[in-house]
Amino acid sequence: MNRLLTSVGLMMILFAYGCEMVDEFDTSPRRNFDACWKILDENYCFFDYKQIDWNSLYGKYSMQINESTDERELFQVLASMTQELQDGHVNVISKYYFSSYEGWFQYHPANFNWSVIQNYYRDGERSGDYDEIRYALLAGGQIGYIYYGSFDESILESELNKIFGTFKDCKGLIVDVRDNGGGSLTNSDRLASRFLDTKTLCGYIQHKTGKGHNDFSEPYPLYLEPSHGDLWLKQVIVLTNRRCFSATNNFVSKMRVLPNVRTLGGSTGGGSGFPFTSELPNGWRIRFSTSPILDINKQHTEFGIEPDIPVTLTSEDIEKQKDTLIETAIQLLLTSD
Amino acid sequence: MKRIIGYLLMCFITYPLSAQFNSEEVQREMNEGTLAGFGTSQVKDTYLSPFNYSGWGARILNERMSLLRRMNFFRQQIISVDISSTQNPAENVNDFGAFVDYSLTYYYRIRTGNNFSLLPGASAHLMGGFIYNTRNGNNPLSAKVDIDLGLSVIMLYTFRIKKYPLTLRYQADIPLGGIFFSPPYGISYYEMFNEGNRSEIIAFNSFHNKLALKNYATVDIPVHGSTLRLGYLSSLYYSDTNQIDTRILSNTFMIGWVKKFVLR
Repeated sequence: MNRLLTSVGLMMILFAYGCEMVDEFDTSPRRNFDACWKILDENYCFFDYKQIDWNSLYGKYSMQINESTDERELFQVLASMTQELQDGHVNVISKYYFSSYEGWFQYHPANFNWSVIQNYYRDGERSGDYDEIRYALLAGGQIGYIYYGSFDESILESELNKIFGTFKDCKGLIVDVRDNGGGSLTNSDRLASRFLDTKTLCGYIQHKTGKGHNDFSEPYPLYLEPSHGDLWLKQVIVLTNRRCFSATNNFVSKMRVLPNVRTLGGSTGGGSGFPFTSELPNGWRIRFSTSPILDINKQHTEFGIEPDIPVTLTSEDIEKQKDTLIETAIQLLLTSD
Repeated sequence: MKRIIGYLLMCFITYPLSAQFNSEEVQREMNEGTLAGFGTSQVKDTYLSPFNYSGWGARILNERMSLLRRMNFFRQQIISVDISSTQNPAENVNDFGAFVDYSLTYYYRIRTGNNFSLLPGASAHLMGGFIYNTRNGNNPLSAKVDIDLGLSVIMLYTFRIKKYPLTLRYQADIPLGGIFFSPPYGISYYEMFNEGNRSEIIAFNSFHNKLALKNYATVDIPVHGSTLRLGYLSSLYYSDTNQIDTRILSNTFMIGWVKKFVLR
């Protein structure tokens, strides 16, 4: 009996040790290339929507890898392969290099001039200690203007109350999110929640349910709930340009659902996939879109959202230190009921 | 499997009820041991990274063992808090882990000799914690919550070296089944907790998707009227659910003191 029990105990201890797990630091170009391809193969969410044949891209780029491929060459191959995904949320990041797809904003009009915009709120207030948030009264105090430059920066509800309190006698409001490259969805939702008074369906989200390219959950409805703070239910124009990406693209997608909101400017930059992070055996970081966020019609906004009112910033206005988009928005708000 | 879990549930429901009726004579003696220690830790959670992270871990464990009036029945309660800091193979990213375990086990003692006792038992186990990856953006955390019923066995052996009586204990715990937090493959915590999609995040667990084993060995050494306890705890946790693999392995060497209470 004693011998039996002792044997059982020893077996259990050996079992625990037998499960020792080992992964070794590996700089092999082949293994790192394969790991990068596989992580994206199992997790990236837009293969079918973008009609990308990921298997054929393996063949195309795998040929460029051999055991003499150095670190810089490996990075270049991975960067080129991931840029085929046409997604600003896909990055390969090493200690020295950073790859990013920039086609989502290149070759599009900027529709934004920082020095011109500063003319509009130079005499206005800067919001507390925030770097990315500015606001002012325009058109003799009839129009409120708020610029939110990055949703990486969060704002307190009390600060938003202060800002919206400043606008209480205005006829209309301009929300300028041009060149806002995204950030936290919590921050963008916090601002959007000021523009509605009832819970509103504003989109859907899906997630991968497995490693297959088409393994997706049913779209789950996303609702926007009104803030408990001061609300703005009068006319709003959201200014957009191609650099509105990721959380800002999502902000625009939600705002355009609201009845008192119009969008004006250029198409947004897209970036509607919620990104996750993983890593390669050599320690490089890889980021990729994994959960598509859909608009209220269950359509992708990965390649951007067209504005309700297309307007381009003209060089003539820039010379006059005027912003075509802001001036157009002011006129529309002043003349609308 | 359902039958085993049914028996275990009956055990936990009916035994405390019957004990309450004799509450004035339930407990005669209790040992309380508190141990702390360090060791190695290995963590792999494919929600965070496909690779195994390795490093150190630390654990504080409090154990209360009560001899019940009902002949040869014991009740053991263990609360254990462990933390770990591990690195990826490239040593440029950290995972931090923190877990709290609570187990309640009832044992029946079988004497198989003057110095040797065998205590088979049934247990309820609750575990909660998380692994936090310092580099990941929207998927930085993998939370774990498990509620299990399981089996446990203790082997006790008492002997002397010269005039010093020593007690050796080996204990093995293994959960048979229960429920655990099991998010779908690619879901984000934003979708689950900000947007409220929590419809498929709890799953039944048993040997088809989870294996956990704790091996716990101690030696009690009397020192100047008190008792010093040296311990070793090996903990293995493996789950494979919704194509997310988790493996947590720790080996901890501990030291602490044991207090004996006589409750009459």
